[in-house]
Amino acid sequence: MELSTLLPFLANVIVGGLVLGFVYAIIALGYTMVYGVLQLINFAHSEVFVTGAVVGFEVFRVLAPVSMNGYLKLLIALLAAMTISGLLNVIIERLAYRPLRGAPKLVPLITAIGVSLILQDVLRVIEGFQGRFDLTYTLPTGFAAPFCGPESSCVGFGKFLTGIGVSLQLKDVILIVVSLLSLAVLNYIVNRTRMGKAIRAVAQDRVTAGLMGIDGNRMISATFLIGGALGGISGVLFGMKFGTVNAYSGFIPGVTAFTAAVLGGIGSIPGAVLGGLLLGVLEKLIGVSNVFGELLGIKNLAVIDDSYSKLGAFIALVLILIFKPTGLLGKSNVEKV
Amino acid sequence: MTAALQQKPRASAPDRTILLVLFFIVTSAFLLVSHNGDLLGQMGPVGTALKNPIVEALMVSLFLANILFAYLWKAAPWARALVSVGSLLFVLPAAGREDTSLLDLSIQIMIFAALALGLNIVVGLAGLLDLGYVAFFAVGAYTWGIVGSPRFAEILKYFGENPGGTNSGTLAIGLVLTAVTAASMLYISRLTARTAPTAATTWSFRLASVGVVAGVILTVRALLVLLAPQADGLANGLNAGFFWLFLALSIFAAAAVGVLIGLPVLKLKGDYLAIITLGLGEVIRVLANNLDLYSAGSQGITPIKSASVPWFDAAAGALGFAPDQYYLLFLYALVLVMIGLILTVNVRLDRSRIGRAWIAIRDDEVAAQAMGVPLMQTKLIAFATGASFAGVMGMIFAAKQQFISPESFVLNQSIAILSMVILGGMGSFPGVILGAAVVTLLNLRILPGLGEATANISWIPQQANPGQLQRLIFGAILVAMMLLRPEGLLPNRRRQLELHHDDNQEDESAQGNAGALGTASGDVYSAGYAPAKEDDKAGGSR
Amino acid sequence: MSGNILEVAGVTKVFGGLTAVNDVTMNIPERSIVSVIGPNGAGKTTFFNMITGIYEPTRGTIRLAGRELVGLRPDQVTEAGIARTFQNIRLFSTMTSEENIMVGRHSRLKSGFLDAVLRTKKFHDGEQEARDAARIMLDFVGLGKWRSELATNLPYGDQRKLEIARALATTPKLILLDEPAAGMNPRETEDLKALIRRVRDELGVTVCLIEHDMRLVMTLSEHITVLDYGTKIAEGKPHQVRNDPRVMEAYLGRGAAAGDYGKEERPHA
Repeated sequence: MELSTLLPFLANVIVGGLVLGFVYAIIALGYTMVYGVLQLINFAHSEVFVTGAVVGFEVFRVLAPVSMNGYLKLLIALLAAMTISGLLNVIIERLAYRPLRGAPKLVPLITAIGVSLILQDVLRVIEGFQGRFDLTYTLPTGFAAPFCGPESSCVGFGKFLTGIGVSLQLKDVILIVVSLLSLAVLNYIVNRTRMGKAIRAVAQDRVTAGLMGIDGNRMISATFLIGGALGGISGVLFGMKFGTVNAYSGFIPGVTAFTAAVLGGIGSIPGAVLGGLLLGVLEKLIGVSNVFGELLGIKNLAVIDDSYSKLGAFIALVLILIFKPTGLLGKSNVEKV
Repeated sequence: MTAALQQKPRASAPDRTILLVLFFIVTSAFLLVSHNGDLLGQMGPVGTALKNPIVEALMVSLFLANILFAYLWKAAPWARALVSVGSLLFVLPAAGREDTSLLDLSIQIMIFAALALGLNIVVGLAGLLDLGYVAFFAVGAYTWGIVGSPRFAEILKYFGENPGGTNSGTLAIGLVLTAVTAASMLYISRLTARTAPTAATTWSFRLASVGVVAGVILTVRALLVLLAPQADGLANGLNAGFFWLFLALSIFAAAAVGVLIGLPVLKLKGDYLAIITLGLGEVIRVLANNLDLYSAGSQGITPIKSASVPWFDAAAGALGFAPDQYYLLFLYALVLVMIGLILTVNVRLDRSRIGRAWIAIRDDEVAAQAMGVPLMQTKLIAFATGASFAGVMGMIFAAKQQFISPESFVLNQSIAILSMVILGGMGSFPGVILGAAVVTLLNLRILPGLGEATANISWIPQQANPGQLQRLIFGAILVAMMLLRPEGLLPNRRRQLELHHDDNQEDESAQGNAGALGTASGDVYSAGYAPAKEDDKAGGSR
Repeated sequence: MSGNILEVAGVTKVFGGLTAVNDVTMNIPERSIVSVIGPNGAGKTTFFNMITGIYEPTRGTIRLAGRELVGLRPDQVTEAGIARTFQNIRLFSTMTSEENIMVGRHSRLKSGFLDAVLRTKKFHDGEQEARDAARIMLDFVGLGKWRSELATNLPYGDQRKLEIARALATTPKLILLDEPAAGMNPRETEDLKALIRRVRDELGVTVCLIEHDMRLVMTLSEHITVLDYGTKIAEGKPHQVRNDPRVMEAYLGRGAAAGDYGKEERPHA
């Protein structure tokens, strides 16, 4: 490949990876926040997020014949997904995890796996009764159009991207904007409100927080609500990005996002975002390893196709946990003996 | 012998000898009748009703309950022996002669029982949540699947065409490299057993372990290239006589993979271990899907041989089995022996220094280590032992199915095995066998039966067919058991009772009849009794 | 120097930016009973954790009867001859008292995987030996009647004794007791005192304890080391330490040093 084509190619890969990374980042926040307060890998989060994707699908499907501004449809989809996913997450916590508070760690973990499996089939059956399995998004017109295409006038950042040869669709840009807005709101809630302070207190030490008059269970519920709402957002974004979801879609992005949370340092919100972005880029880079193989003259790299790119996250997870289990931005946590 | 050592379930429990024998006779009769096609044909509508998959599943379940009751109920020893031996050695094969699928189902149940017993060591005893357990099953299955099928010739042909500079010299180098590096690994580990590791020992150990892997790869590669000229003679895979060699090999291969995977991941704590083993299970599946040369990718490998044992075939023929059933009957017998062995190994390990160390680690890792239990080594033994059971069963599975593809080794299988362990009771041998039977029946008979029964109901679209509800079932089992009865259906009553006998007889109970599933274990269930802190058994570190 | 079972020299532990233990040197004479005291957060448990291999010291050496321990894993340290109990009781909750102690014999038994599977003579001998050891140890600490009881069903004070019995089952040269009297009433504490003396006198095991119960420490110890903010601020015989102004200052704060500290039973409880 010529250098003149390689640079735009790489730029496209990296920008595409970042777009994907934002989806992972928002999913990862759900894992990391719950882990922060309960030290539990909420396996069900991948289905909470798929629930959001399914809700988004339904909203876009129902609103498809309605003539309405596309952004308004998106807003409705996002709000509906946030509400339903958030409440679902709260209900899961209330019914499945809360009765097990104080039980040995393995017990809620196994329960979480069980909840995840149940939700997969429930979602499948709900959509199945309408004769559907793979749900294909009907996006508002224009969302799939190229951002800054030849026919639209480009200004500022868009002009810059086009200048370096990056082609994005409008929905990618929407995805980034929604992600950034969500992060800003989350940051505000966690760092600037009383509730956020209380959540952080519970995450640090539930007993002491309780002694200070903070209702631990309420704060845990609030965390699940926020985490679930983020899951809802990421579900809609995921559906928009990939176009198709089904009840079993949650597994791979779920594990990838969990890896992102661990990579960034579990319990750390900026860490989850950083981890998500890194893994998104990593996945895209693995996906084009045949190009690197060609560049470096290693033919065998071409064997590594897309199915391996999903494995990148797992391998990254193994390496992180072995060499730096606290993650990039995590604090070291020495077990008290 | 076994029964004499059984504790009485409850002093006041009524003697149910007669009930047990009656139940055995009735369910056996139903099983034999409902699997006899000729007889059913003559019975008109009753016969049709008995053929209904759900009714059939019910029959099988009730029949299998015999063995459970023989284990649970207070009854005369002869009755328990009669029922368990009679069921497994006479009635099941007899019914299976008429209906091969029953034999197939029984083998499948026992394969899963063995897998559950293996996972039970890892999760139930040592407290390590392994979500990629099915990977070891895959190792065993592919070990035989590759060499016992036409795939082997394909691989040999490939290496014949692409020797890549490999010759007999490579074989020598590979063997020497393997031997030298393995020896140095042993030497280093012996060296650091009593003194602190230095950077030199740590890195030379890592280097040596890479060397071992490289040596094994070189050796295997050289062997394949050297064997390449034989490819035409091996068009259907290795001679079935190699079955036994590979049965042993699959145990070691799976155990070795267990150690290889365990070395890096067992340093991690509970939940991280869970997610990483989940990932590794997925890695194995993707590899099986993509390494087309070895695994034939997603289309799978077929036909896979079984062992050929002429005298056994002759005996089966004399008993009236059709020639195409010989291998199934043989595998049934083999799996029965295997599960007896596995159960014995389990019980014996449980009541040993290693078993105590596993439970100590599960209860409190830090305290266990402070009492002199080497964590890594003890966990590796658990991993490797569990893996070896899966390996041997994987091979039997491949021989039974005559076909394997990556679809048999997906995450859902790992979860299914986990739900067997959880349902029966972590750490309880009779429990996990029961769990395996229940989940396998649900999975292979009841759900497909439901699916078939509802297939033509118009308001249930195919996408919502209840025949596909495995995930819901597994999930519900996991959640319900954890919330309502974390100790499982047949809890392991910590070995309190037999510890009162200070004699050495206790291991006698382990040598029970290989076939008498539950009765071979000394763990005894008594209704309504669950140790106060039972749910602590699940505890990893806290 | 011979006569010391444990020689700790210049041991330092840094966590991130925090120096938990700073350049502590301490020798424990063979067959003695010594104590490490200090206010909460003084680094006592970190000090124990370094000796037992749970943490690796940032600097310094630790020798047991002349053998270097730094870098060994906790189980290797136990095998070398140091046993310990924990501040918060850590018994194996699903095991009986007897089994708990049998785990303590782990490093002394040599029967392996194949011995267990094949039920060799080595296995049977080992099991018998472990059971005998358990019986002897339970009788030694006076818990014979609890042999087949789940460890967690024992009364609190007995759980502490069971932890000591389990540690002793490893046949240590030195036993480290982390706040053995915590939560005990005065009578139980008296029992414990007698037990600790018997551990030394009858079994010949050197004892080192961390304790906040000053009456116990002062009457039991032959030598006391005082830590504060990770640094050794005093050491000596009980009466020397009791009257050391730095010790009083550490416990009671500057200006209170004139008070009669020795009468205070739990100065900071």
